[in-house]
Amino acid sequence: MFGFLALDCLEAKRISFGCLLGGLLAAGVGGLSFLDGSPSVLGGRLLADEPPAVNVPGGALPVDDVPGDDVPLVEVPDAAAKTEEEMKPYKEIIVDSDVTIEMLPIKGGKFLMGSPETESSREEDEGPQREVEISPFWMAKVEITWDAYDIWMSDLDIFRRQVDNRQPTLRDKLADTFSVSQPTKPYTDMTFGMGKRGFPAICMTQHSARTFCDWLSAKTGRYYRLPTEAEWEYACRAGTTTAYSFGDDPEQLDQYAWYSGNTEDGYAKVGRKKPNPWGLHDMHGNVAEWVLDQHTEDGYPEAEGPLRNPLEVPKTLYPRVVRGGGWDQDPEQLRSASREGSTEDWIAQDPQEPVSIWYLTDALHVGFRIVRPLDTPTAEEVKEKWGKSEPVQVDRPKPKEDH
Amino acid sequence: MSNQEVQQDTDRRAFLRNTGVIAAASTLVAGARPVVHAAEDNTIQVALVGCGGRGTGAASNALSVNNGPIKLVAMADVFDFKLKSSYEALAGQFKAQVDVPEERKFIGFDGYKRAMDCLKPGDVVVMASPPAFRWVMFKYAIERGLNVFMEKPVTVDGPTSKRMLELAKLSEEKNLKVAVGLMCRHCAARRELYDRIKDGQIGDILLMRAYRMAGPTGSAATEKKPANMSELLYQINRFHGFLWASGGGFSDFLIHNIDECCWMKDAWPVEAKASGGRHYRNNCVDQNFDTYSVEYTFADGTKMDLQGRTIPGCHDEFASYAHGTKGAAVISTAAHTPARCRIYNSQKMISKNLVWQYGPNEPNPYQEEWNHLIEAIRQDKPYNEAERGVIASVVTSMGRMAAHTGQVVTYDDMLNCEHEFAPGLEQLTLESPAPLQADAEGKYPVPQPGLLTNREY
Repeated sequence: MFGFLALDCLEAKRISFGCLLGGLLAAGVGGLSFLDGSPSVLGGRLLADEPPAVNVPGGALPVDDVPGDDVPLVEVPDAAAKTEEEMKPYKEIIVDSDVTIEMLPIKGGKFLMGSPETESSREEDEGPQREVEISPFWMAKVEITWDAYDIWMSDLDIFRRQVDNRQPTLRDKLADTFSVSQPTKPYTDMTFGMGKRGFPAICMTQHSARTFCDWLSAKTGRYYRLPTEAEWEYACRAGTTTAYSFGDDPEQLDQYAWYSGNTEDGYAKVGRKKPNPWGLHDMHGNVAEWVLDQHTEDGYPEAEGPLRNPLEVPKTLYPRVVRGGGWDQDPEQLRSASREGSTEDWIAQDPQEPVSIWYLTDALHVGFRIVRPLDTPTAEEVKEKWGKSEPVQVDRPKPKEDH
Repeated sequence: MSNQEVQQDTDRRAFLRNTGVIAAASTLVAGARPVVHAAEDNTIQVALVGCGGRGTGAASNALSVNNGPIKLVAMADVFDFKLKSSYEALAGQFKAQVDVPEERKFIGFDGYKRAMDCLKPGDVVVMASPPAFRWVMFKYAIERGLNVFMEKPVTVDGPTSKRMLELAKLSEEKNLKVAVGLMCRHCAARRELYDRIKDGQIGDILLMRAYRMAGPTGSAATEKKPANMSELLYQINRFHGFLWASGGGFSDFLIHNIDECCWMKDAWPVEAKASGGRHYRNNCVDQNFDTYSVEYTFADGTKMDLQGRTIPGCHDEFASYAHGTKGAAVISTAAHTPARCRIYNSQKMISKNLVWQYGPNEPNPYQEEWNHLIEAIRQDKPYNEAERGVIASVVTSMGRMAAHTGQVVTYDDMLNCEHEFAPGLEQLTLESPAPLQADAEGKYPVPQPGLLTNREY
């Protein structure tokens, strides 16, 4: 059973995209074309350190079974762009599902991050304001829905292949690796009776949202991740400097957002309120959205001059940032600059010991949306920045089913 | 050892000798004063039979009861790897409370006896192996004068249910404390809701609804046997896949929602009609359907609607509701805990119609059921859930049989159904043939509604 060593390796390392790419680099074998930013990279050969084999669920592929060429990405013509000018809206395809994810181009630019001291209901952590420069990226038009999230969480793509009696392609196998990386299925209904189809996914840890992005990247061949806090606020403001992207008047919130003033019994279907000036829906309200950053409770760190694509790489599990406020929160928490840090209260009712690294039992207002940078980072950049967070999340041992 | 510790140790040994005498006496006289743990310095010993996830969780709850010394002294399973990982988890968490040297770890089908033999009358045995074995082990526990914590369901067919009802009666006569792992009955939120419903706050109950639709669960979806495992051990390892072992996913997963509804109604249904089927089978060979829909009827004509589904990607709901003449109640919201019980003054269960909800911090019912059991043991209060557990199991089986046969099944039909799924279970050894045999293609018999009407397969 050559498979187990490779899988144990995965379990021990908690695969992340950076980890896999890092392993690839370490192994010093093919598929390195991603270093020049070619999108086909994400289909490089994925090798475990020892023995040389490809990590796939249920075991490992002997290296002889892997074609030497890059694994072709999933063709989405409008998704291809080399320059900012070429960026178009596109619908990302999730193979073996009926789900697409609508991505909107967000042009690069500079903005003032944080809120002025004069802003009503401003909190200390929203400043000092700082000038930030953001590189172009695409952002999902709406929050990630259960429809998309469940494909990964419940392995619906694998299930469909079984139903249709089809063998996985190599790209499927690469993606499946990230499904296997989530061994514990929730023992409950994670919608908490609030509805599923068309509604935003909730109650995931940041690690879970990150792993979803890694899975989607492997699944499509295009690099997806959570937005940085700076990217999120840049996109939320959409060129505005007011408390909300529609102005300063909370009375108008009802046109743009789901919040405590117009929901009582849960989240709403995504994309039902007016979008912001850049076409993004529900940036204010519905569910608060994970970003990559650690929360800095005393405000933003002092910085000189304009910051380029800043990211506060997390060093602790709590607090990490969610943005935009949720359906059960008040207008001030929905402001463009408002920040919320995660706390252990979000997992207070997890009955398991140790608590899950995937589910937050008490974060019914927390979801996420994804971005795709125009410039695909190198493996090294992923490892050191975009895919990095500490402490490394280690799952509880997977129950053993046989000898 | 300090003087004080020596003294305590001496006291403890003296106590143990004394309890032995009392135990011997109590086994002679039904209804006599039982073995109790009233003394301050006595230790309740626990044996764990069935070391899977739930058994380990139950043992963990047992060792967390904070009203006097309690320790785990013996463990049994048919799988060495399960026992090993269970032991490591418990020993890691509870350290000195886990006193299970190698000679008190038992592997095999007689392990339950040997583990119980390590206990003295009045101690507690945890029965968390697949439900099929419950009556065999309960019988032995009663002979040994042991208190019992048994996981649900406690029976899966008619003949063993009758047997268990007899055993339940016997355990009551012997004043044994018997807990059944229907922990929702021990939930503080649901208990308050029950009181409020009895108080008439939603009027008379007209309809109950129970749902467990949450994707694949446990070992219900089971693929063919791996070559390196015996047929018998494979079926036990994948016990949700086989009706003889567990009553299938239906019995093991749906019993909680069925039971909590019946509790609120304060009655048991007398009849069930149902539909169900297996839409996706893929590579699975287990005996389960992937959808079930049951209409239960109570003696007064009230209905209970039960929906079970294990297909991933569908609408999820894992909750129970009661609808009355004056309003409606949420019995549980999402899974078992927290229940977030609520009462509304309308059938439209939205915030503006909310009249009561239990506070935000619910005690964990898995811990509560153990707190209640151990307290009853220490204070010698009447405590026996066995009969109620059997009835809940029969009611559950009744719905399952209605779906699997396509017939209306009454409570009496179920109880008197002569199909015993695993006869001779008490004599199983590791070498025994499995109670269910696969055909030449490795497939097992499955229910055939409309064709097989007096038995489920």
